[in-house]
Amino acid sequence: MSSFLSSSFMHNIFGGLAQGVIYSLVALSLVIIWQSTHVLNFAQGAMAMFATYVGMTELERGVSYWWCVLIAVVVGMALGGVTERVLIRPLYGKPEINPIVVMVGFLAVIEAVATSIWTSTTRTIAAPFSQVYFKSHGQLILLSPFVIFQIVLAIAIMLLVAALFRFTKLGLQLRAAALAPEVARLLGVRVNRMLTIGWMLSAGVGAIAAVILASGSFGLFPTDMDGVFVAGFIAAAVGGLESPIGAIAGGLLIGLAEQFILAYWTPDVAPLGGVIILVIALMIRPQGIFTKSVGRRV
Amino acid sequence: MGWLATLRKQETTHIRLVSVLALTILTLAITFVLSPVADSQLAGGAAITIVILGLSWLIGWSGQISLGNSGFMAVGAYTTGIWAHHHAASPLVITFLLAMLVGGLSGLVVAIPSTRLRGPYLAGMTLAFAAAVTPLAQNFTSVTGGEGGLFFNTLATPSWFGHLFSGVNASIDSNAQWTADLAVAIAGVMFFFMANLFHSRSGRAMRLVRDNDVAAELMGINLSRTRTLAFVVAAAFAGLGGSLFAIINATVRPESFPLTLSITLLTLMVLGGIGTLSGAVLGGIIYSFSPSLVAHVNSLTGVNPTSNLGSNMQGIIFGALLILTMLFAPRGLTGLGQRLRSFIQSHM
Amino acid sequence: MFQKLRRSTTLLSVAALTLGVVSTGLLTSSADASTNTPGVTAKTITIGASVPLSGVAASYAPVSGAANAVFQYINKHGGINGRSIKYIRLDDCYDLAAYGLGCTAGASTTTLSQNQVLVAQDHVFATVGSLGTAAEDSVLSYLKQNGVPQLFVASGSRDWNQPSIYPDTFGFQTSYVAEGKIFARYIKSHFAGQTVGFVGQNDDFGADGYIGLTDGGVSIAPANDLSYNAADAISGSSSDIQQDVATLQADKVQVVVLDSVPGFTNGLLTVAHLLGYSPQWIISSVGSDPTLVNNAGESGAISLDYFPAPTDNKDPWVPWLRKVLLADKTDFPAFTASSPLTGNDFYGAAYAVAFAEVLKAEGKNVTRAGFIKTLKSMTLATPAITPLKYSSSNHQGLLGGVIATIPSNGGNPPTVVVEPNTTVFSTGNTKSSPISVSTKLGITTIPSWLK
Repeated sequence: MSSFLSSSFMHNIFGGLAQGVIYSLVALSLVIIWQSTHVLNFAQGAMAMFATYVGMTELERGVSYWWCVLIAVVVGMALGGVTERVLIRPLYGKPEINPIVVMVGFLAVIEAVATSIWTSTTRTIAAPFSQVYFKSHGQLILLSPFVIFQIVLAIAIMLLVAALFRFTKLGLQLRAAALAPEVARLLGVRVNRMLTIGWMLSAGVGAIAAVILASGSFGLFPTDMDGVFVAGFIAAAVGGLESPIGAIAGGLLIGLAEQFILAYWTPDVAPLGGVIILVIALMIRPQGIFTKSVGRRV
Repeated sequence: MGWLATLRKQETTHIRLVSVLALTILTLAITFVLSPVADSQLAGGAAITIVILGLSWLIGWSGQISLGNSGFMAVGAYTTGIWAHHHAASPLVITFLLAMLVGGLSGLVVAIPSTRLRGPYLAGMTLAFAAAVTPLAQNFTSVTGGEGGLFFNTLATPSWFGHLFSGVNASIDSNAQWTADLAVAIAGVMFFFMANLFHSRSGRAMRLVRDNDVAAELMGINLSRTRTLAFVVAAAFAGLGGSLFAIINATVRPESFPLTLSITLLTLMVLGGIGTLSGAVLGGIIYSFSPSLVAHVNSLTGVNPTSNLGSNMQGIIFGALLILTMLFAPRGLTGLGQRLRSFIQSHM
Repeated sequence: MFQKLRRSTTLLSVAALTLGVVSTGLLTSSADASTNTPGVTAKTITIGASVPLSGVAASYAPVSGAANAVFQYINKHGGINGRSIKYIRLDDCYDLAAYGLGCTAGASTTTLSQNQVLVAQDHVFATVGSLGTAAEDSVLSYLKQNGVPQLFVASGSRDWNQPSIYPDTFGFQTSYVAEGKIFARYIKSHFAGQTVGFVGQNDDFGADGYIGLTDGGVSIAPANDLSYNAADAISGSSSDIQQDVATLQADKVQVVVLDSVPGFTNGLLTVAHLLGYSPQWIISSVGSDPTLVNNAGESGAISLDYFPAPTDNKDPWVPWLRKVLLADKTDFPAFTASSPLTGNDFYGAAYAVAFAEVLKAEGKNVTRAGFIKTLKSMTLATPAITPLKYSSSNHQGLLGGVIATIPSNGGNPPTVVVEPNTTVFSTGNTKSSPISVSTKLGITTIPSWLK
């Protein structure tokens, strides 16, 4: 058994999953925003990075890692809420390119401000889990305590979000506000507030992804979420922007694809993993693999 | 009635030609008074204007959000790089036409999966394409020169042009200016083409497909062909812009066309005015002189240019401009100019 | 019809106005040189360099800083033939400014744009010590077209050694190919029979190093010839490093040659440590400086060195350099008598000394053509331990070095390089050029006018 776990095939599975859960979280956060406000949040990664920085500056002052993660999530949620209120709310009903452009501008500003404050030198964030890989009978298994933490945390967050949507009143209101805003308003749902909450939720999920990324061997630096955002976006598109399950599946798929391309082709071409999957997926189903078919309005 | 319409159309085309010519000559005259360094910046701006012209067509007139134009620029640039490596003495016209051709072809390739997509999916597909360019260029080393890229000779200044300059620095000045003048002239030509395209039947069909595709289909317009044409044209223009870039810099590397360039193009186009010709020109000008602009802002506000804040000013200024433009002036500088003009007119 | 005319007039006026407003800050008057040679006046000579002062390669900033320290020292002692040397260093962020990463020069800065400023605005006599292979490749043609000599390019590529195409371009350091050949010879004599692997940067640096190794007779299985992507510093991904090390470990490679810059040397050693892999590391001179690599895994590694060991105070250049850096408070504000000297410091000082020597030999009348001619005729005394001699067929510069080792430092990152013996290896770039062995170190006496 242990020799199977240390086979290069399993190395790639573990590596792909570890990276993939980060993509899944980003994809999930994009889907939450899309479902509630039909906006593509280009600044998602940058906002999450900013929140992580704020949380992790406390780490240097001796605050425990877990508190820092909490701070990052709270800051992220606040940022998400404010962004929706100030930047996105005025643009409802306008052409769909407008919020995209605003978010792109916001992305540039956030990254520039983050670099001004914290410089672009990579910071190592020490999570309270070792990054040394396990060895069984002298053979390497590409799992470390940190990787396990990474995967467990990501799954926990996804389950929490799912539970929120399925089993709570808030979740019901969020879904109602997204699917049928006029009807929901008539039934007493504060639709605008739900939209803000949707953004806050999305930003919180994104912040977790950024925290995990920064605590790994990657380190924390202002543009660290750029590549992750692209992959997460592709994952969401592959899965279908309407489907949280699809987003999660898409993220894992892209993580695995990149890892296998890295291993069996050349490292240079690894980023193409996502591209190849996207092209195939969208050629088969232009509206995303997990989306229910929608008729064309005439 | 037919010949009258044709006559009127010709008249309009002539006026268009004259105004474009005048604008180009004015810009060329200005290159004579600019310093060599400013001339080089202007040359880059002219190349960007060409790319934005195509982008305006794609996003503004065809309504297809594309983030892939940096990729098309790279295709044009690498085509030129590879061609110049093997055929150093071929005339520039051939080089540029080749870049447009290959660029247009790559547009066709991307259009095939893309024209069925809408909104964010289209953005995602084109984003993925642009993100793929750098790894592809880095990997296929034997063709693209890999990480190090391709280098070729700088543009040779013709001797008749060189004779216009004198003094110790004559050759430096003439070399810099020749590059700028060439770039401006080509931009003028492409501007004229795009102006005609805008006012042509294809242009009108494009806008109809953007606004109401059902009506367009009912009128017999082939949706997929119209959308594909938009991609091909935009890609050809971007390929030419990329090629010009490569020639101005005498080099092409995988890092020359990162994803952030696609975003910069979008920014410049929005600031200038989406879907307008003058917007493309304004976008190019902003590109040329943004370093000087940022330096001015730094000195006005007393910020040290090499401090953390100072060196990130460009991102802050442009990001903020983009947000403010989208919220308060979504039609960019051109839109503001139009509003100003109608304000003045209504108060005459 | 008038609509169209009005529209175009608006367009015209907008463009013209904008251009007019914006261009008023950009009209410059060209500085009048009082001689016909650009950059040379009776009292000064102006030279320039495009170097990475910030950004990904900022760790190389002290190279040109040390050169500037030497020039300042010379100026304080009367200059050269009555002229003071003005050294303009412009930040080109290794030609990767668009990627940020700490670059403070502005996102649209390129090596070409900075060289255009040096040539068209500052009218430099020559560029001296510009750094970076791809960065300087991009301006080879520009500088040639404008007649500006490109001296002592800080890179080990063979591109600076093309006398027939670029007669005014000169390199400085031992080429990556020559280094590879010397490593090959060392491997054959000390590690005969062991499996050899290679990890190189994904550009000329790695490619040339590999050529040197194989030309020198070392065979490397294709599966063990690996590369990493220098651009990963930009994207932050290190998965290819992980993959490379894991592959070498799986193939049980015993000797690994690294052609990597310090940041990636560090990354590679870290990954190896995490995977529990410790082969014999042989690291290129470019990426082995312990003060920059700062990794405990470097203990016991082998490298090539063409400057004296920083602790070798018997070599008069060592205390001399210390004196020069101490005197330059602008470039080395925190340098004290006990601060370590690094390979970067020696590098900059060496090419500065070389430049000063040729300038001195030129006398009062300095021209570009005359300078180049003199450069190719002199044997230059520099801190380098191998002789520096250019010729019509050798524009490369230094041709070899000594084998150096990096001793362990308890469990901590090593801090010094030692040169256990004085055997100097030198060779040319071609496969057939032999490796000459000598024990004579370069000229170690400092010219009297420099002391």
